[in-house]
Amino acid sequence: MSAKSEKPPGFRQRTLEAIGWEGVSHFAEKKDVPVHRSMVFYYLGGMALFLFLVQAATGILLLLYYRPSASESYESVQYIMAEVPFGWLIRSIHSWGANIFVGVVILHFLSAYFEKAYRPPRQFTWLSGTFLLFLAFGFGFSGYLLPWNTLSYFATKVGTDVPAQIPWIGPLLSRILRGGSDVTGATLSRFYGIHVAILPATATVLLGIHLYLVQLHGMSVPPKIEREGSVRRMKFFPDFLLRDMVGWLTAVALLAVLCVFFPWELGKKADPFAPAPAGIRPEWYFLSMFQALKYFPATIAGIPGELFGIVGFGVIGLAVLLVPFLDRKAVEGRSSPWWNRIGALFIVAALVLTVLALLPQPGTAAAP
Amino acid sequence: MRGFLRALAGLALAAPLAVIALGAPAPRLAPPAAAAPVNQCMECHLSLDDDTFTPPAKAFRKEDVHAKAGFTCANCHGGDPTQEDMDAAHDPKKGFIGKPTHQQIPQVCAKCHSDAGLMKQFNPSLRVDELSEYKTSKHGQMLVQGDQHVAECASCHGAHGILPIKDTRSPVYPTRVAKTCNTCHGDTALMASYHLPSDVYAKYMTSVHAKAMYEKGDISAPTCNSCHGNHGATPPAVSSVANVCGTCHSVFAEKFKQSAHSRAFADMGLPGCVTCHGNHDIVQPTEEFLGTGPTGKCGSCHEKGDRCDVATTAMHKDIVALRTRIEAAHRILDTASEAGMEVSKQKFDLTNAEEALTKARTDVHELQLAAVRKDADEGLAVARAAEAAGHKAMAERDYRRRGLLLSLFLILSAIAALLYKIRG
Repeated sequence: MSAKSEKPPGFRQRTLEAIGWEGVSHFAEKKDVPVHRSMVFYYLGGMALFLFLVQAATGILLLLYYRPSASESYESVQYIMAEVPFGWLIRSIHSWGANIFVGVVILHFLSAYFEKAYRPPRQFTWLSGTFLLFLAFGFGFSGYLLPWNTLSYFATKVGTDVPAQIPWIGPLLSRILRGGSDVTGATLSRFYGIHVAILPATATVLLGIHLYLVQLHGMSVPPKIEREGSVRRMKFFPDFLLRDMVGWLTAVALLAVLCVFFPWELGKKADPFAPAPAGIRPEWYFLSMFQALKYFPATIAGIPGELFGIVGFGVIGLAVLLVPFLDRKAVEGRSSPWWNRIGALFIVAALVLTVLALLPQPGTAAAP
Repeated sequence: MRGFLRALAGLALAAPLAVIALGAPAPRLAPPAAAAPVNQCMECHLSLDDDTFTPPAKAFRKEDVHAKAGFTCANCHGGDPTQEDMDAAHDPKKGFIGKPTHQQIPQVCAKCHSDAGLMKQFNPSLRVDELSEYKTSKHGQMLVQGDQHVAECASCHGAHGILPIKDTRSPVYPTRVAKTCNTCHGDTALMASYHLPSDVYAKYMTSVHAKAMYEKGDISAPTCNSCHGNHGATPPAVSSVANVCGTCHSVFAEKFKQSAHSRAFADMGLPGCVTCHGNHDIVQPTEEFLGTGPTGKCGSCHEKGDRCDVATTAMHKDIVALRTRIEAAHRILDTASEAGMEVSKQKFDLTNAEEALTKARTDVHELQLAAVRKDADEGLAVARAAEAAGHKAMAERDYRRRGLLLSLFLILSAIAALLYKIRG
C-alpha cells in the first residue's frame, strides 16, 4: 500500500538529480563573501569575468564574417562595420570591451596585490591570476593586428621587433611570432590562430583553475581588516550576485554609449610598402613599456640598450609572479609596507611613462 | 664612388652652355690624373689675398664640382700650373687665356662638355649637346652678334664653385631656376633694352605652377626652363605653344588639337593654350572660364548668344552641377565619418565622380558638348549614389541613437529594479 502511494520522481526531479543540483545548491547556499570597507574591490573579479564572456561572445560572432588574410581582413572588417546588421555594434563592443577588460583585469590585479590577497593559501590563485593578466595582454596584442590597418600593422612591426633583441633566441622568437622575417599575411594568420584558439583555450583552463581556487579558499580579507577582529559575511546568492549584476549592467550601458557615439574606427588599410606614419604607438596598456624602452641608450658596454629593458621587464614579470614567495612578512601575517611602496612606485612610473608616450613627440604628429 | 659620379654629373651639366664654338672643336682633354701634380695656380692665388684673384680660387677649391673631379684652373684658363714663375705659368704659348671673355665662355666649357668621349668617362648618360642647344637659343644667337649682357654658361651655373644641379644650393636647382633667370629678366633697365617685360618672375610666382613648386614642394612642377628650354632657351613659337604645354598636359593638348579652335587659332595667329590661360601667371582654371560672361574667356572672340556661348553655357551648367553634387556628397560623407559611421567605401567610390569631373573639364578643350555631358552624367550618377549613402549613414546614426536611448532606459530600469531588490 505504502509502495503504491510513493510517487516516482518527476522529470524535473530526475534532471536535477542527474546534474547533481543538490551539491550545487548546497554550495551556493554555503558560499558567502566578507563584508568590510574594501569589499568594493571584490566586484572587479566578477566584472573581469563578465567582460571576458562578452569578449568571447562578440568574438565568436565576428568570426562568422572575419577573413584572416592580408588581402581580405581589412575588407571583411569594413563589411562587418558597414553591411552586416549590427556588425558595427558587435565589433565596437569587442574593441571597446577589450580595452575595458584589460583595464579591469589590471585593477583586479592591483587590488589583489595591495590587499595582500596572495598570502597562503592563495599563492596559486595569485599565480593563475597573474598568468591570466599576461594572457589579457596577449589577447590585446594579437587582436590589434587583425583588422590589418596602418596603425596596427606598424605597431605590430615595432612590437615583434622587440623580442628580436634577445641574444641567440631573439631573432628566432621574432621569426616564430611573425611567421617569417617581416610582418606579412603569414603573421596575420598566426596572430589570428593565437587570438581565437591558443589564447582562449589557455585562458579557459587557467580561468577554470583560478575560479576553482577562489571557490576553494574564498575571498581574501585584507590583513589590516583581519587584525581588527571578526568580519561580517554576506550570502553570495543572491546578495552579492545582485550587486555584481548592477556593475555588469552599468558596464553594458557604458559600452552601449561608447559604441553608439564612438564606434571603433577602422582606419586605413595597411600598406607594407608605405613608410611608417608618424606617431605609431601600441595600445595604451603597452605604452609605459614602449616609452621606457626609448630611454635606453643604443648600446651599453657594447650590448644593445633595449636588451636591458627587455630583461628588466622579464625580471619584473617574474618578481610579480613570485610575490607570494618573496613577501615573507605578509606570509607570516605581519605588515609589509615596503611591498606597498614598491607597488605604488611602479604605478606612478607606469602612469608617468604612459602620459609621456601620449604627449606629441617632437617632430611627429600624434597618431589618429 | 657615388659622390664622385654625382660631382661629375654636375660638371657635365654645369658647363653646358659652353661650346658656342663656332669654329672647329677644341682638342680633347685627357681626364685628370688621380694624383695631380702641385697646382701652382692655387698656391699663388690663395696667397695673394687679393679681392679679385683670391676669391675665385677659394670658391673653386671649396666645393666646385670640377675641382672634386680632379680638374684644375688650367683646364679652363690654360697655362702651365706646374710653374712657380707667374710669367711662365701664364704663358700664352701654353694656352693661357686668362679670364675668358663673355664670348669665349661657351667655347671654354664646351671643350669638355661637348666631348662625348671625355664625358662618358665620368657619366655615360650625360648630355653633350649643350652647345648645339645653346646655338639655337636666343641667348646664343645674340652672343654671336656680340651682345655683352646675354646669358652664357657662367651666368646661370656660376664660374667658380659650380655645384651639381641636384644640389639644392645650385642656382639651377628647380626651386632656384626662376630666381636665377630673374637676375637678368627682372632687371627693368636691361630688359627694356631688349623690349622685354621685367615682371615675369612676379607673375610666375602668382601662378598655379609656382604654387605647386613652392607651396606643395613639387620640384617636378614647371619653372622657366620647363617651357622655354634651358640651354636652348627661347620663347615658344605661336604654333608650338600647345606642344610645349602638352608635354605635361598631354590629354588637354590632344583634345585641343581635335577642336575647331586649333585651326581657328592658327589662322588668327593666336597661340594655343596661352590665349585662354595666359602664360607666366597661369591661375587654377575653373569652369567660370567658360562662356562670354565677366569671368568667361570666350568673350574676347565670341558674343553672347552665339553658338559657342550656348554650348559653353551648357557645359558650364553640366560641370557646375556635377561639382556641386560632389561637394554635397563629400560634406554628408564627412559628417557621417565624423559621427563614426563607416563610409570609407563610399568615399572611395566618390573618386570615380571626381575623375568624371576631371574628364568633363578635359573634354571642354575639344569643344564637344555631348562629350562633356556624357562625362557629367556619369559622374552625377556616382555622386548622387554617394550622397544617398551619406544620408543613409546619417539616418543609421540617428537610428542607433534612438536605439541607445531605449536600451539605456531598459538597462537603467533593470539597475533600478536590482537596487530596489537589494535594498529590500
